[in-house]
Amino acid sequence: MWKAIKDRETGRIRSNSFANRFKSRRILSLQLSNRKDFVSPHRGSVNSLQVDLTEGRYLLSGAADGSAAVFDVQRATDYEASGLIAKHKCIFTVDKQHDNGHKFAISSAIWYPIDTGLFITGSYDHYLKVWDTNTAQAVVDFKMPGKVYRTAMSSMAMSHTLIAAGTEDVQVRLCDIASGAFSHTLSGHRDGVMSVEWSTSSEWVLYTGGCDGAIRFWDIRRAGCFRVLDQSQTQLGIRPPILKRTAVSSKFFSAAKSSLGGQNRLKTLQSKHAGSQSVKGSFSAKASTEKSRQKRIHPGMLSTLDRATAHYGVVTGLKATNDGMYLLSAGSDSRIRLWDIESGRNTLVNFETGRIQTNKAIQLDTSDDPALVFVPCMKTVKTFGMWSGRTTLMLRGHYESVNTCCFNSSDQELYTSGADRQILVWSPGGSVEDEMVQDEVAEDKDNWSD
Amino acid sequence: MEGRDDGGGKVIGLIEKATKSTAQEVDPRLLKAIKSIVRYSDSEVRLSAQTLMELMRHNHSQVRYLTLFIIDELFMRSKLFRTLIIENLDQLLSLSVGFRSNLPLPAPPAAATMLRSKAIEFLEKWNLSFGLHYKELRLGFDYLKNTLKLKFPDLQANAARIQRERQEREMKTKEILRNKFDSLRDSFGLFKYEIEVTIKEIKECMEIVQWRGDDGVPLAILDEEDFEEIRCSHLRQIRLDSLKQSDKVEETSENRVVFDVLREQCKLLVTKHLISVQEGISLLIRVDVSDNRTRDSMLKDLIDIRNNILAAKKKWEEAGFTISSMTGTHENEETNEEEEDIWEEDDGKVRTNSVKNVAPVMRSQQSENSSLPSSSDANRSTSESRSNKVSNTKKVGSSGDSLRDKLISEAPVMNWGSQLSNWDSTTEVRANYRGLELESHWGRVDHDAVIPAEKIAELNLQATVYREERTETPPCRAPLKKGGLCQRRDLRVCPFHGPIVPRDDEGNPIIQESPLDESENQTSSTTGTNKDVPMDETTSDSDPNQLARQIAKQALKNIREKDKEVMRKRAKLVKVKVKEHNQEVLRDAAIASTSRSNVIDEEFDRVFAARKNKKQTFSSMRRKKTTAKDRISQRLLSNRVKSTNPQQLAQGNDEKCRDTSANQW
Repeated sequence: MWKAIKDRETGRIRSNSFANRFKSRRILSLQLSNRKDFVSPHRGSVNSLQVDLTEGRYLLSGAADGSAAVFDVQRATDYEASGLIAKHKCIFTVDKQHDNGHKFAISSAIWYPIDTGLFITGSYDHYLKVWDTNTAQAVVDFKMPGKVYRTAMSSMAMSHTLIAAGTEDVQVRLCDIASGAFSHTLSGHRDGVMSVEWSTSSEWVLYTGGCDGAIRFWDIRRAGCFRVLDQSQTQLGIRPPILKRTAVSSKFFSAAKSSLGGQNRLKTLQSKHAGSQSVKGSFSAKASTEKSRQKRIHPGMLSTLDRATAHYGVVTGLKATNDGMYLLSAGSDSRIRLWDIESGRNTLVNFETGRIQTNKAIQLDTSDDPALVFVPCMKTVKTFGMWSGRTTLMLRGHYESVNTCCFNSSDQELYTSGADRQILVWSPGGSVEDEMVQDEVAEDKDNWSD
Repeated sequence: MEGRDDGGGKVIGLIEKATKSTAQEVDPRLLKAIKSIVRYSDSEVRLSAQTLMELMRHNHSQVRYLTLFIIDELFMRSKLFRTLIIENLDQLLSLSVGFRSNLPLPAPPAAATMLRSKAIEFLEKWNLSFGLHYKELRLGFDYLKNTLKLKFPDLQANAARIQRERQEREMKTKEILRNKFDSLRDSFGLFKYEIEVTIKEIKECMEIVQWRGDDGVPLAILDEEDFEEIRCSHLRQIRLDSLKQSDKVEETSENRVVFDVLREQCKLLVTKHLISVQEGISLLIRVDVSDNRTRDSMLKDLIDIRNNILAAKKKWEEAGFTISSMTGTHENEETNEEEEDIWEEDDGKVRTNSVKNVAPVMRSQQSENSSLPSSSDANRSTSESRSNKVSNTKKVGSSGDSLRDKLISEAPVMNWGSQLSNWDSTTEVRANYRGLELESHWGRVDHDAVIPAEKIAELNLQATVYREERTETPPCRAPLKKGGLCQRRDLRVCPFHGPIVPRDDEGNPIIQESPLDESENQTSSTTGTNKDVPMDETTSDSDPNQLARQIAKQALKNIREKDKEVMRKRAKLVKVKVKEHNQEVLRDAAIASTSRSNVIDEEFDRVFAARKNKKQTFSSMRRKKTTAKDRISQRLLSNRVKSTNPQQLAQGNDEKCRDTSANQW
């Protein structure tokens, strides 16, 4: 560590990479934090967790007893055992006692992506409510046709404030906070929609995973879905991370570079229809080509494509990686699949999952630098290398099945919650100050009296 | 490497051996051995943790139970072991508590329930001591407690509760003490005044009594002066002693009133005031109040009062005024229960000693105070020594129980009744005292009429009804001609088969004379069986053994006749005595009481006499029975002896005291 600091000072390592190294070391040593406790006010299984996107400081949780709570992640409310254990009590809760609280379980609670002034909860009582954080009052509510399974807001939306809601109903509805009405009804799924995820690269693209096992891509500016992921359409080989990183950077900076990267990638991938996908710079361009292709294979191909499935069974979780290039999906067939968004193909990474909860939506999360996936696997949380699919960590602490993982990348902490009503904090272990405090209290020692 | 393997094998072997038993606990020696091995290296700890977790998966609750014990032992000691175990805490819990429905605890249900309760207990203990350092422990505890709602023993809360209760109790006692103190402070003046008055009265009474005695004393002094020339020291000593003796005032009919008052006051002083003073002292010592000065002054006052009382007591004791009737209660309070049990049924002779066998505190005080070798003291000392002796013998007796057994065998068996409460009491009973202030319109009533104690004792004499022990009358068992044995049950003689003798199974008589002859008898009986002759009188007569037996019987009969004679004489004597006694009683009554009480007395007497007579006839009737005669006559005699024995009557008070003390407790 000291060597790394010296290297950074002398300029041998760039400060960015130094920070990344440091962070990755921390992430790889995640363990159950003894020094940070969330005092869970929930009396039911905690179904949803999210750290706010602006400050990375406030954790929103929604639970099966119809309550949602907000915690301050960074500042503890009180301490126990001479400051050894920091207790984080919730800042406030809204529950059934609240005037317009949810009657049934909250399945999904998310922050408004722009600031922490609003949050949205979706519940099994068919309502989707938007809350003012400061007054803890519901400001808008939407009556949905069935139980709300999952809600999502685009983290990069600049021109719309739409909440995508997956419900029991086959149609995905987009609720506009600004107008208080449904702006879109996206039909295509043949069963309820368990998981909804906005694209992290385009504010118009939405991914939904249904109980029929299909994952559909929607461009909200057009009618109909433009892609259905098919688990049998695969691409061999895992792209080396270096290439991917160049692709990422290229995407953000120049279209030309990205196209180059794309071409590089395609070479390695032995793609079947490389020729048709020559242009990949911007999303709109891609969408248009997709449209044109769909038009070309219209109508017989459309029906076969339309029936494709991504999982055998329910798609319980969707997570787009932060670079917007890959989509992770979890299914009730206990599989995690990594999809290449651009080609829409299954990358055939074999994640060594055990069993995955089948009857409930789960929440996956990813970390960037060591590209890891955090997956709730029944009572444990497993972290997989995103490209290898190997288990790097197995986090055991919950006594009942885990529902959600939420990674706080600014603190390199992982928050998990499950049916045992706890919200656990997994923080990097083995740090120096930990040991020091341990010595101060100095109780946990060998005690051989005889 | 090799050494480690060796050691590892050892620890595994030990653990497996320890968990193989069926006991409720792990063998402590094995446990110690495991600990001492594990202590010295981390690899051992790892190995043991691994082994123990494997054993926890064993499909038998008993094994798991013992394993859990070892885990607990190591868990409380080794940090490394803790970290290793806590990695798998959820597994351990599910294996030991069995909270997962798909993983129930295995076979023996008794062991399983024990395992569960122990596991819960251990988890709580671990959480208490190490929960701060291990989030997993806290989580597991929290989960079992709050989600599964398992019942934890809640050690900490229990301890806190007990502590709190104790504090409350202490507070309460303090409060009570303070209240008592307050009430004492309020009534202190009155209390002190009362005691002073009592002491003063006693003093005055003593003076009166002593003054009455003074009539003789000047004479004695004169005499002393006269006999000054008698130089012989020991004679003088005797004289002095007698003088001292004469100091003691005898109770006569003239000073009885004074004595009564004195006795009452003494009793009041000793039973009420002394005790309350002592209580007050102990209260003042125990209580803690802010007002220390009043407390101290009160304490001082109380101690003074106590000293006063003791001084007064000493004085009247020196005056020879026996307050045994009063202090007796005290003395017996202090005697232990066991002794009472022992002495309850014994004869008066022994009880005389047991009276003085008590009150060590007072005794010691007295012996300190008595610098003069007064005769009473001498008496006391002798009695003391005797009592010591008795107690010694009693000790011996209690070890061997021989004395006690002897006494019990002598003691009369009495029915339970009210008369036992004033057994051998010397107090007089007031004849006209009813406790009610009722005016009788049938003439003058002498309220002071008393029935003397002797008479009360006589009145209380109990008629004892002799109960015959029911004995099984044996069947004749002579062989019948038609086969079988004669089943007639006669007391002595069967009308068909003659006198009843013990017979064997076939009906042949077995002759028992002495254990020495047994073998002979047996041979004879065997010969009898061999001969197979039908039994009748002639054959039995002809038998030489039978003859000898008859002779012996005759001799016995003669002896019994003689005994009977003696008994009859004795009974006659007794009768005469009783008659005399009755006359005496009548005379006494005539002297002592007025017409009314006289009548009552007569009535009593008549009843008493009738009862006596009845008893007489009863007993004489009984006496005809030769079998029970010895016992009855003995018994009657002992009764007589008791009722006419004045000494024993004098000692009766302790009996009473004993009862009162029993009531007190």
